[in-house]
This record gives sequence, structure tokens and C-alpha cells, in this order.
Amino acid sequence: MSREFKNKVREQFGRAADGYIHDKGFATGDDLEIMVRLLKPMPDDNMLDVACGGGHTALRFSPLVRSVVASDLTMVMLKKAQEHVSEEGGVDNVTFREADAEDLPFPAGAFTLLTCRVAPHHFPDVPRALSEFHRVLRRGGRMSIVDTLLPEDPEIAEWYQTMEQMRDPTHIQAYTEATWSEMVQEAGFILHETAITSKTHDFPTWAKRAGLNRDSVAQLNKFFVDAPDKVQDFFQIETFAGEVEAYTDRKLLIYASRPPKK
Amino acid sequence: MTLSRELLDILACPLCKNPVVADESHSCLICHACQLSYPVRDGIPVMLLDEASALAADATTEKS
Repeated sequence: MSREFKNKVREQFGRAADGYIHDKGFATGDDLEIMVRLLKPMPDDNMLDVACGGGHTALRFSPLVRSVVASDLTMVMLKKAQEHVSEEGGVDNVTFREADAEDLPFPAGAFTLLTCRVAPHHFPDVPRALSEFHRVLRRGGRMSIVDTLLPEDPEIAEWYQTMEQMRDPTHIQAYTEATWSEMVQEAGFILHETAITSKTHDFPTWAKRAGLNRDSVAQLNKFFVDAPDKVQDFFQIETFAGEVEAYTDRKLLIYASRPPKK
Repeated sequence: MTLSRELLDILACPLCKNPVVADESHSCLICHACQLSYPVRDGIPVMLLDEASALAADATTEKS
């Protein structure tokens, strides 16, 4: 990851940290519960949560596993997450590390469980991150990744990429389900299951969370309003008197594991 | 602030992936293979190559 881009990520998420900590969509959500159901966390699991953001995934899993290491590229975010976890009280098995998902500071086979939720679209090199996930997972270790899903239709996909980058310059690329499946298997994982969930975003909250100023919000609003019909339908864009109120995107959940020892 | 032995066991240098050791004051983590020192800020190890500093010849004392 280039230094320049890394600084951009830190700036973006340092500014937006509070918004992520207190966001209900990150704190709860269908995807988080599906993750728990598929990964079946056990009391002897050592878990790594990559790009932990507000620490919501770490907090959900912490009572179910032995330990959670939560890593993120942004120190401000880690400190906020650490505060958030300590405010919850009674959690003593979560530790925080500042780390780059593409250069993880952990020895091979250090974890039995790995999660990475709604973050890979910020990674410049997803295959490299996946190869790191594979390395730090023990043989037979389970992994679940959730990320924003790129629509299959090229026109909708192009609108989506442009829109995400208008909102957040650290949005690199979302991928289709087919591309994700290929990348996960290419990295040496066994792909067990995928699931798609919907997430409705309250437009003003969502735009504000990225730290946009009034002009940028107005530009983004216009981009939504002017979107072709099929884009409007796909994202269920809701407007009132020319103002976008909400839209719904899709998240892909991947459940995979590192093959056991032969 | 101390970093427990168990937690150090699951930390490695992001460059060479070898173990790191805490310095005496536990204010940084050292990779002897790469001759790099990683800072610890507010109890959070900063395991980024960009933030690492080259180890000075007089700072190689360690607490293993």
C-alpha cells in the first residue's frame, strides 16, 4: 500500500471515526449475525478482525472466543474502538494493533478465525491481503469476509463505482460475486458459502459520515437524482422534493476456510 | 503499560514475519532481523513499516 494512499485512508477515517463507532448499521446488521452462525465461534478460538473500524465485529465475537486481535490502519479509529470496547465493560480479551491488511504483523498460523467486514473495497491489492489472511490462519481455520457487492450490470456497476468515489476517495474498488469467489479460491481457501444481504442507507447520515461538505453532498444528491432508471430501481433510490432520502445496496458475505492438513 | 508474553507471541515484524521483542521500557517493539523499531502508542503497537525507525546501534538492548 503506498504511503500516500495510506495517509489518505488515515485522514478519511480519522475524521469519520465517531460516525463509524456510533453507526447502528455497523453495530448490528444481518451480515454480522450470519457471520456468527457460519463461523461457529468456539471458546478456544483465537480470532483476528482485520480493518476493525469501530470494533463492532470484535465486540460481537469477543464473548464467544478466547481472544480477539483487532487491527486497523488508522490509529484514531483504533483508539475510538478501544474506548468503545472498554465502555461496554466486561470485555478483557480484545487487543488492538495498528496494521496494514496487506502486510500483517502476525506469524504464520497465529489464528483459528479471521473476519474482515465491509473493508476490502478500501484495499489497493485484495489478492495480496487474501494471501496474508491465508498465511496467518492456521490450517483448517475459518474466515468470513463481508464487502459491498459490485452489481453485475456494467452500467450500474460504473455508476456505483463513480458514486462511491465521489463520496469517499479511499473507495478503491468493489467486486462482483464471481470475482470474489475466484480471488478467494486463488488464494488457497475452500469457499463454502456466500450470502447476499441488503443494506438501506439514510442518505444524509451516510453522506455526512464520509465527512462531505455541503457542496459535495449537493453534487452527490444530483448524481443520484440524475441516475438512469435502472440504477434508480437497482438501488431503490428514494427521493422527496429533489432530495435523496435513502438508497439500498448489497453486501456479499463469504464463508471460507484454509484447507486442513492432509 | 506492559505487553504480555502471550500477546507478543502473536506479533511479528510485518516485513520479515519474525518475532519482535519489547524494549526495556515497553515503548517500542524491536525486530532484530530487520534492525527496525516499531513504536507503541497508548498501548497500541504500531506495526507499520512506514512508522518504523531504523535501530540505532545503542538501542539494541532488549528484554526477552
